[in-house]
Amino acid sequence: MEFLLENILNLVGFIIGIIIGAFAYVGYKNTGSPVLFRLTIAFFAIGIGFGIIWAGYMIDDLILQEGKINRGLQALGLGTQTIGYFFIAFSHTIKSFFPKSRYFRSVGILPLFALSAMNIEHIIRSFSFILLVYGAIETFVSFLEGKQKGALAVGTGLALLAFGEFIAWYSLVFPESILYSISILLKISGLISLFLPISRLPLRKIKFDDLEDEEDEEDEEFGK
Amino acid sequence: MGTYRKQIQIVGDILDAAEELTIDQEGASITKLIQKANISHSRISKILTNLVSQGLLEQVDSKRACKYKISMSGKEFLKEFKRFSEFTDNFGLTI
Repeated sequence: MEFLLENILNLVGFIIGIIIGAFAYVGYKNTGSPVLFRLTIAFFAIGIGFGIIWAGYMIDDLILQEGKINRGLQALGLGTQTIGYFFIAFSHTIKSFFPKSRYFRSVGILPLFALSAMNIEHIIRSFSFILLVYGAIETFVSFLEGKQKGALAVGTGLALLAFGEFIAWYSLVFPESILYSISILLKISGLISLFLPISRLPLRKIKFDDLEDEEDEEDEEFGK
Repeated sequence: MGTYRKQIQIVGDILDAAEELTIDQEGASITKLIQKANISHSRISKILTNLVSQGLLEQVDSKRACKYKISMSGKEFLKEFKRFSEFTDNFGLTI
């Protein structure tokens, strides 16, 4: 069951990440906006990260048949996703996230040493969680300012991904429980919520022909 | 407190104003563009020169003064700008 859910999650994450990344890339090419460039990197990284983990599960299922994914591949996939989450958070000016005082900065590094004995995968997950929470909060704040429904959906998506990441981390305490399956379902819901507002935008590229046709139609109407 | 517009947003506002004001073939005057896009004269002059050289605006010589009208490329850019502004708005970001 978990294997199936993992496959669905990673495949959905891969497809959604690549679609949003490609859309942001078209926007960057057409407008030259640095924000769209950051979103391009973010979503390509998220999509590739999910894709790596999906490939890991597929390799195990079809070739290795060990019943578990290669730890190195999983860490690589999670790490790539974290880079994507970092760029989403970075777009919201991440400098405000870090404490300014030297004392607090040094204290902020301490948990890393405390965690160093743990598996690198869990450290990456904790980074993802922090970045996703930051991205979700900033997006919710933007929603409160602008009341744009799309921002609410994206904020909810990031929050669900963060909550899913938290539950996945928490499931280590209670292995073999339903928590891990819940975390995967939360993440799938988060990805769908992230994609909803983007799916409403016209995803095709506008061509000159379209504009000329529109102008002809307008001229005809004016002629009437 | 208001926030400062980025260069690309100013360009978007100028093109939007030019599109709205280009009802006839004469185009829009600088004064109208300044009012509509809410920008100073010294700043708009440089941007207009830039936009004309990039082919997004066309300069029309009128009897009284120089006027500007949006080109086909300008219309295409403006449509893309609006589409991707909505996209970044969904992430709580400005383009």
